[in-house]
Amino acid sequence: MYALAMTETIIGRISVPVETDDPSSLLLRVAEHRDKAALAALFSHFGPRIKSMMMKLGSSDALAEDLVQETFVSVWRKAAMYSQQRGAPSTWIFTIARNLRIDQLRRQSNKPYEDLESLELASDAPSGSSLVEQNQVIERVTLALKSLPVEQQEVVRLSFVQDMPHAQIAESIGIPLGTVKSRLRLAYERLRPLLEDLQ
Amino acid sequence: MTINHHPDIATLMAFSAGTLDEPFAAVVATHLAMSEGGRESLRHMNSIGGALLNDEPAADLSDRALSRLMDALDNDDRIEVAQPATAGDDGLPLPLRSYLPGGLDSVRWKWTGPGVGTADLAWSQDGKSRLMLLRVAAGRRVPEHGHGGQELTLILQGAYSDRFGRFAKGDLADHDEDVEHQPIAEPGEDCICLVAVDAKLTFQGRLMRALQPLFGL
Repeated sequence: MYALAMTETIIGRISVPVETDDPSSLLLRVAEHRDKAALAALFSHFGPRIKSMMMKLGSSDALAEDLVQETFVSVWRKAAMYSQQRGAPSTWIFTIARNLRIDQLRRQSNKPYEDLESLELASDAPSGSSLVEQNQVIERVTLALKSLPVEQQEVVRLSFVQDMPHAQIAESIGIPLGTVKSRLRLAYERLRPLLEDLQ
Repeated sequence: MTINHHPDIATLMAFSAGTLDEPFAAVVATHLAMSEGGRESLRHMNSIGGALLNDEPAADLSDRALSRLMDALDNDDRIEVAQPATAGDDGLPLPLRSYLPGGLDSVRWKWTGPGVGTADLAWSQDGKSRLMLLRVAAGRRVPEHGHGGQELTLILQGAYSDRFGRFAKGDLADHDEDVEHQPIAEPGEDCICLVAVDAKLTFQGRLMRALQPLFGL
């Protein structure tokens, strides 16, 4: 799933080697060599997926396209921060898109998420597992999410993909708020052993 | 700093998903800035988002999307690097600093009861929740109260105890609407907390009901 087949559809002024590469190496190439072809390859893989997420939370086609653009401009600018922090690229890109969504759609005045990220970088938290391992964990979490009971999957997706606050989830599926929270806790307990592999 | 009280898993998941109102997000972020273990839990939760993105179907991007991005990069030389997160003179955790540019010393406390002061810092976009500081003088008690909604209380200074235990610097009390409690500040130092509430607190007892309008809670 992670293999990115680069295509020749990329505009002419950049010479694009046709190759298959994993997203971590692509991100490191963006960070270290300001490699636009690597960014383009990440864009062709993650861009359509981010757009799909943005459409699900109710943004128009045009706004979703804009948020995808902004996400990748941020990836371009922040790639050096990825190379320090590592982790799975899909997780890193998810958090960038999430932060933009909070800025654009929720219009919060301050930047608690960015503040936390700079703390993370400063604290130099040791990353025990390799990038390959991190990506394998993501693959396993993806599968584990699908094996959750349907009602747990539903609340996890409504929260993480459709950007619904818990109270809104409760209202939209007609269950008490406490039930939304307990389903989320149960889902997390099921995923926890996999996630904790990821140090 | 040993932290014994953490946010509920569901609260941390909402923070990771990005769906908390600003007052709640600010309290959780400030707590996490004080808690290495909490940040590790957050990294785990963020991976749920990563896995879901990974699994998302591909929507069609416009034909011009890639050339538009490449054009934008041609004119973009900005490189963002991590700002060193040095502790300020005020000693405040980074996420709180933007709400309190003058530090705790500059707070203008509003008298809200005997030995109790509050100061508003921010409201949610729809005005339904608020971020505030609460100061309880050493040895004093906060009137017994229930909650009309969720309440997050992060201890910034001093300590208090209630029926849930002892809460000291860095601890976060995450209470739902069905909780009633009566925190008592420890002797010694005033207890200062960062609080997010999403509805009016309800105070028990006649006197406190009479005082409630004063509290403005």
